[in-house]
Amino acid sequence: MITHHPHYELLNAYVEGELPASLSAGIAVHAEMCEICAKNIQRITEEAAANTFSDDANVYNSLSKKVITDKAFDNISEFDLMMKSIMEDDSITEMMTQEPLDVEIKGTTYPLPTALRSMAMMGWQKLGKLSRARINLNEGSLHTSLLHIDKDGGVPSHTHKGFELTLLLEGSFEDEKGTYVKGDFIWLTDKHTHTPHTKEGCLCYTVADDALQFTQGLSKLLNPIGKFIY
Amino acid sequence: MYTPWTYNSAPTEIIIRNSTMNSDEQQQLKSWLYDIATDRDKNAFTALFSWFAPKIIQFGIQKLNTESAANELLQETMTNIWRKAHLFNGDKGEATTWVYSIMRNLSFDMLRKVRSNREDTLSEDIWPMAEAQLVQEDSFDDHLMSSNLLKNIDILPEAQKEVVKGLYLEEMSQEQLATKLAIPLGTVKSRLRLALIKLKQQIGESK
Ligand SMILES: [Zn+2]
Repeated sequence: MITHHPHYELLNAYVEGELPASLSAGIAVHAEMCEICAKNIQRITEEAAANTFSDDANVYNSLSKKVITDKAFDNISEFDLMMKSIMEDDSITEMMTQEPLDVEIKGTTYPLPTALRSMAMMGWQKLGKLSRARINLNEGSLHTSLLHIDKDGGVPSHTHKGFELTLLLEGSFEDEKGTYVKGDFIWLTDKHTHTPHTKEGCLCYTVADDALQFTQGLSKLLNPIGKFIY
Repeated sequence: MYTPWTYNSAPTEIIIRNSTMNSDEQQQLKSWLYDIATDRDKNAFTALFSWFAPKIIQFGIQKLNTESAANELLQETMTNIWRKAHLFNGDKGEATTWVYSIMRNLSFDMLRKVRSNREDTLSEDIWPMAEAQLVQEDSFDDHLMSSNLLKNIDILPEAQKEVVKGLYLEEMSQEQLATKLAIPLGTVKSRLRLALIKLKQQIGESK
């Protein structure tokens, strides 16, 4: 059973379209597997829509710094032109049917979640039982990857300078705090130190905003792994 | 920018404040959308445009910072509404929620272009609901089948009639029908959707 979910503030920012693509996709993939969060997202969306479009919208938005100027409405004829040009094209948008995509690593094929299907994915790099495919989203210090850990593999004890989101797509893993299963949305910060290990193997979607810091000795030796995972 | 959100709070069902939209207004918006879908009704579109435009501009200025970006958001959102009105399903949610989702998706892609210099349109994969909700309900439900809905089939344009007949009288699958008529599967689904709206209007279920 999924026990780790995105917090309300995160869902709210997701609904308003304010999160980076990497985190938005993480929430979308979680919601595909979690009915509770899917339902809450639906409700937050309804509320955001009603707030944005109600007649009270002006009052509501006056709390924020940017208040709309009357200037935008001055040029009625500009809107008129826009409206007419839109209606000149009579074509309609057909529904798209999409073929499911797969991703293959170490002899196993996994279905690729919808939210990730158009993202630019680099090739797999392998280091022992760890395999990583970078997802190139160009989001500055945010690094997004698919991470595969083979049966009986793990990552040495580490903490995080910024945050690390791990979303379990398939399989399970354990750390000091417990067991995580498919769908779990695991948000770790610098307050957390952990040593993930997997018996059955797992595929994760990860977003990290800073390199891992290894907390045990041999840090120099382990450093390449930190860079590898980040 | 990134607050350390607690990561394992058990979610409870969120209680939503009462909407400030009254239901007459929501009905009006739905009815305009249906008129655009079935008749390409320009008066309905004009009314819908006037209703949403100031609010979309305001949202655009808040999220995208400039009036020119807000204007672009308005143009794109309204173009999508004009072309996708047949994909709106009033049984599944309010018109405001549907328009909001379209607007939010476009604004997300525009923001991403500014922040990450990427021209991809990831929003359609991240929030596939607007279109995907249809894929799950692209058939008449039993209640509608047992009603007199199909008796009104003659009011439909030829292309839609062909699709409804193939699916419900000849009991072909959507895929088989697409092959037989040599049209894309998406076109079968769109025509079915339009036929459904029209037939429901006929027996007074919608509007
Ligand atoms: Zn959840």
